[in-house]
Amino acid sequence: MRRALAALALLVMPALAAAKPKVVTTTEGLAALVREVAGDRASVESLSRGSQDPHFVDANPMLAVKLRGADLLVDVGLDLESGWLPPLVTQSRNAEILPGGRRRLTAASAVQVLDQPTGPVDRSLGDLHPGGNPHFLTDPRRAAKVAAAVAERLAALDPGGAADYRARAEAFRGRMEAALARWRTALEPARGKKLFTQHRTLTYFLDWTGLASAGELEPRPGVPPPPAHLADLVAIARREHVGAIVVENYYSTKSAETVAGISGAKLVQIPGDVGGEPAVKTYEQYLDVLVSRIGGALR
Amino acid sequence: MNCIVLPALAALLAAATLASAEEPAASPPAAAPAAPAAVPAEPAPPPAALPPEPAPSQAAPGGASPLARLLLLPDVSAIGRAALVYDGLDVGTLSPRAGTFSSEGEPAAVLEEVELGLQSVVDPYARADVFVSFGPAGADVEEATLTTLSLPAGLQLRAGKLFTPFGRLNAQHAHVWDFADAPLARERILLDAGGEVLSGPGLDLAWLAPVPWFLEVHLAGQDTVVAEGGDPALTGLVRVLQYLQLGDATTVGVGLSAARRDEGRGAFRDLGGVDVYLKHRPPGGRSYASLQGELYARRFRGREGGSDLAGYAQAFFRRGAYLGYGVRFDAAPSAAPGIEGTEQRFSAVGSWFLSEFQRLRLQVSYDRLPDGKDGVEALLHLEFGIGAHGAHPF
Repeated sequence: MRRALAALALLVMPALAAAKPKVVTTTEGLAALVREVAGDRASVESLSRGSQDPHFVDANPMLAVKLRGADLLVDVGLDLESGWLPPLVTQSRNAEILPGGRRRLTAASAVQVLDQPTGPVDRSLGDLHPGGNPHFLTDPRRAAKVAAAVAERLAALDPGGAADYRARAEAFRGRMEAALARWRTALEPARGKKLFTQHRTLTYFLDWTGLASAGELEPRPGVPPPPAHLADLVAIARREHVGAIVVENYYSTKSAETVAGISGAKLVQIPGDVGGEPAVKTYEQYLDVLVSRIGGALR
Repeated sequence: MNCIVLPALAALLAAATLASAEEPAASPPAAAPAAPAAVPAEPAPPPAALPPEPAPSQAAPGGASPLARLLLLPDVSAIGRAALVYDGLDVGTLSPRAGTFSSEGEPAAVLEEVELGLQSVVDPYARADVFVSFGPAGADVEEATLTTLSLPAGLQLRAGKLFTPFGRLNAQHAHVWDFADAPLARERILLDAGGEVLSGPGLDLAWLAPVPWFLEVHLAGQDTVVAEGGDPALTGLVRVLQYLQLGDATTVGVGLSAARRDEGRGAFRDLGGVDVYLKHRPPGGRSYASLQGELYARRFRGREGGSDLAGYAQAFFRRGAYLGYGVRFDAAPSAAPGIEGTEQRFSAVGSWFLSEFQRLRLQVSYDRLPDGKDGVEALLHLEFGIGAHGAHPF
């Protein structure tokens, strides 16, 4: 009898679940924000894993299958996903998730973008993002803006839940405000201190924490560091008292270890996103880890 | 690795320290042209509130080349392929093929092609992708297709000149292959001597089935030309392509293709093919391993020529962002005059990806004809891409 009920539940559940809006995001960080806003009202799935470098996801046709039935696609934008998302969207046959579509929300449109190139851009500068730095989810203020934009879009697509989405986005903003105060207090001893990153992934984190970057291990975006560049970094580290080398866990730590070994700066590995480590399941946990590890190393 | 780097580093360090002592303004290397570390530090933490994050930017909301979008220009790209090649076999006579080769024993430098790509959405209903190839033989429209974006019921139609979606390699442009050339098997079976790729003007209707895995069925009709300067003939095709995910890291793709080319006066060329692709890539890194193989079969009806079978199998290992290695075995009917039987070719390739936009490959092949004649081929192959960053096909 119990088995029969379980079988029945399995049959019925997909039908019930089908009534929920299906939201697909490109990254787990965005999925975490959608979860904050939608709760159980929507199903949420990310195309990439948090342990993955979001620049280099495969355009696996299985992902087009996920996009086919998406009621909303939330992407980061600013060319972060340009190496894999566009052909998947075409392949999905879901015209409404095309850029600018009713069911497409590009998170970058909700925030102020930093690192926008001001002069001429070409690839002698590396594989940079001509529209600006896409790694804005390390800033809780911007995350709250994205959550609000998600709430508005979900409200338009699922008017029955509009009040719920907006209330949850507002509650998330409130929690981020409280957490921001807590995180800033925790980072107070590190204020003004300098760090290196592998890629320019922490620009927005530095923007709200008051920490400073003294450079990147990559001489230019996507370009591997030659020994001369690492030597420069060691000199900079000594001169400017760089305390930490922060590297997402999808990068090799070889160069960072070399610079850390000579300069005395601490190597800090961080998850690249929500889901980048098994214990990091929510956006708040992700920032908790960033703040405690980076703050701890710079203290 | 460190033991090699460290002494060099120590020497460079001394120089760098000197340099930086003289130039206190030596700023950290800029990764983006925007001011590098000049992130405006806020003077003081604002009173527990979120407002300091300013209003949304007016920049284009993501997607490729926002400036081009503003000007309504299509994405423009050019991909160049050039090679230094040496053949120890008289390939032109004994193993005629469309790919790059040299005269026996005489190294040659070859510009294979420059492929110009123009890609954009046309309107809310379709996108267009145009690829023009400039090579030693002149310019040719490789592909020019209109792809629908909003047909109902999982349907998608491509119209224009297109690579026939027969198997895996034939539908891909050369610059996405793991090896610097195509296996002999593909062109010996799908094409006649002198042909490069089975393609032509026509239609390809593809249906994405509403199942939890990737299942696509293609029905195509094209006027194909199988040899340079040959006559076009109507070719009908059915293809079923499936992909399955096995865990977080492994994907398997299997395709079946069947085509019939009407060669006039009751004569037909029937083609059949199986293609298999397996890719294993743990999500946390750039490394992956892939296995790929295709079998091609051909039977002539109502005209000379019997049935033929050919195939290849290859393995490729991408080691991190910058290196890749592959091996390939290839077996195809000999095309040498008067020599019947199966020609075999063994190839190994080493790839160095200098960046996302440049790769250098060294490919060495050993070719063995059914009568025992053999020879080695070496290919140093350079490839570069400029312009819009196209996505990499799976």
